[in-house]
Amino acid sequence: MTGTLIVNGLAGLLIVTSLLVIGAKKPTSSAVQYSLQSLVLVLIFVALAQTRHAHELNAWAITAFITKVVLVPVIMYKALGSLKDPAADSAVIGPALTVIVSAVIVVLSYVVVGHVELPAVAELKPALGVSLGHFFLGLLCIVTQRNILKQIFGYCLMENGSHLTLALLAHAAPEIVEIGIATDAIFAVIIMIVIARQIHRTLHTLDVRQLTALKG
Amino acid sequence: MTPTQLLLALLLIPFCSGLIAFAMRWLGSGSRQLATLIHLVSISLVLVFSVLVINRVLADGALTALGHWFHIDSLGAIFLALVGGVGFLTGLYSIGYMNHEVRNGEIDVKTLCNYYGFFSLFISTMVLVVIANNVILMWVAVEATTIGSAFLVGLYGQRTSLEASWKYIIICSVGVAFGLYGTVLIFSNASNLPMLSDPELATSWMHLVQHAQLLDPTLTTIAFVFILIGFGTKAGLFPMHTWLPDAYAEAPSPVSALLSSALSNCAFLIIIRYFIIASKTLGPGMPQNLLLAFGIMSIACAALFIIVQRDIKRLLAYSSVENIGIVALAFGIGGPLGIIAGLLHALNNSIAKALAFCGSGNILLKYGTRDMKAVKGVMNVMPASAVFFGIGVLALGGLPPFNVFVSEFLVVSAGIKAGNAWLTIIIMLLLAMVFAGIVRMVTGSLLGDAPENVQKGELSLIKLVPMAIFVVIMLWMGIRMPQPVVTLLENATKIVLNKGDAPLDVSVQTPWQMLSANTSQNVAPKPASEVATTTASH
Repeated sequence: MTGTLIVNGLAGLLIVTSLLVIGAKKPTSSAVQYSLQSLVLVLIFVALAQTRHAHELNAWAITAFITKVVLVPVIMYKALGSLKDPAADSAVIGPALTVIVSAVIVVLSYVVVGHVELPAVAELKPALGVSLGHFFLGLLCIVTQRNILKQIFGYCLMENGSHLTLALLAHAAPEIVEIGIATDAIFAVIIMIVIARQIHRTLHTLDVRQLTALKG
Repeated sequence: MTPTQLLLALLLIPFCSGLIAFAMRWLGSGSRQLATLIHLVSISLVLVFSVLVINRVLADGALTALGHWFHIDSLGAIFLALVGGVGFLTGLYSIGYMNHEVRNGEIDVKTLCNYYGFFSLFISTMVLVVIANNVILMWVAVEATTIGSAFLVGLYGQRTSLEASWKYIIICSVGVAFGLYGTVLIFSNASNLPMLSDPELATSWMHLVQHAQLLDPTLTTIAFVFILIGFGTKAGLFPMHTWLPDAYAEAPSPVSALLSSALSNCAFLIIIRYFIIASKTLGPGMPQNLLLAFGIMSIACAALFIIVQRDIKRLLAYSSVENIGIVALAFGIGGPLGIIAGLLHALNNSIAKALAFCGSGNILLKYGTRDMKAVKGVMNVMPASAVFFGIGVLALGGLPPFNVFVSEFLVVSAGIKAGNAWLTIIIMLLLAMVFAGIVRMVTGSLLGDAPENVQKGELSLIKLVPMAIFVVIMLWMGIRMPQPVVTLLENATKIVLNKGDAPLDVSVQTPWQMLSANTSQNVAPKPASEVATTTASH
């Protein structure tokens, strides 16, 4: 019971760290917040491993620590730190509205997963709701932020959300599958960083409103 | 060779060739020739191994390898034929096209090595999509195709190509993430069943199909919607298609051909795989209605854009949205005829689309623009390219006797046979609109006087031979379908309909074959039951 409480509590903390990633002013700050968030995700994996005696989740925690707490944030910190475009640092909606919309998303996600009848997550529905909500928070970040670097972070948030869903629903899946998903995510982020840097170098902007030459 | 050796070779040859091609950039003066050689060897071997695998499937039935990880049946074999065949021909066309770009200083030799590297990796990821049996591995493979091809879309590094590349990777990554949710829901649903409690079995598509009737209907419904949105984004179904016109138009033409012909169909293959599961769990109604809705919306949206389009490659891109819509529609109509028509249309459209994109590439190389206002008199400037391009795009519009006409005819027949008269009329009107848009482009671009600054003269042979081969295949498929294709289509339809070895009540024929069959029936009357079957299939 205590383990379940810890998992659900940490899942709630995941939402708070998401808002920090979305709200951070500089890409380097977002990278640090993302690392922090991934650390919370790692702790959830460890707690889940203990609660459900699912030792494969310990391996997940180790790979997530290496890739998401260290590797990806360091790459982002180094690669994105020098990219600046003050004109792109605004969002379609303000911070207060972002928090309200996020709350609505999380509540809706919780309601939706309330209808899911799976014995594996009977006691972990809050965490499952958070994982789905987290996925849509990432989508919210991509849709509302004008800075393309924030869109990369939005993708990372979505990916963390689906990673938690996987841990809750599919941790028994073969280990190589988790490695495949993690590898895909890392390479997707790297390719996004490479293209964002090219855009900044060639077009001198990070503003998504400037990427509207193609129409019709 | 054992199935495991065959499939591993098919997967690893392009993967390793890709890595070697990347490394060629450090070889100095010889890197261009060596990278090209590696590329040629890679696409040729992929073609050879694809043919070997397809032959084995035709002779022995489905192949399963590496435990439950890989599985290729007749359904997968059709799509493997696309990856191997179109991959080879567009790869061959690439050699001439990219050499031209290097000579003209559009790209440097390092970028060329990267191009060949990513091209092979992209082929490798598509092979993985087709042969994967583990449902999560299928998702991994589809996501990997995005990573493999994003660089190819933005190859030129210009404003528009970078914008297209950004939209492509963001929208497709986000879209495909929905597919992961659908996949996980199916897996966790299945792992509760006693017979699928072993996680390896609960992730095996073959086993999921076997026990699909026991899955929870609510979860399967949610999962199928997620999967349709997720992989539909990659396939280019409306309204998730927004990345597609930009990416297809801005990518180098051989890449546009590969994206349109192989990739969107690979994504649709995954939708078909889940369509089979969902149809068994829920009955065919819900999955069919969803595909029908997405199909009609895609055709209608594309038709509106095609009729007003001024950019040749964007027009072809919207034609891709239209055609994947027709495939979805055919599956939505359902029944043996609908499924056969859908699969055949996926195959036919891919061949014609690859030809049209290669043709648009030749025009782009000669005129330096894709704008229909500037592209005039191609027939006078380079007649062979003009004829091939004209055949490609008119065939896409459904002109007989080419292959696309046959599959569109079958889709319409399936609609009438299913009793959807109004739907069929609407679709035919939309197809007429598309044809009008295509004829406008063909007459405007190919005919008339060429601009004075465009030098007359055909492009090199290597840019024409692949197009000529596409034309031959299109005619062959349009007039008399080869028997191996018919067998694959019939077997794949049985897989989709879960019919086992029971015979289908329709035959796969071109309209000309049907006519000649009817003529011979008139000469020598057949038993009444057989005549009824043939007539129903019309």
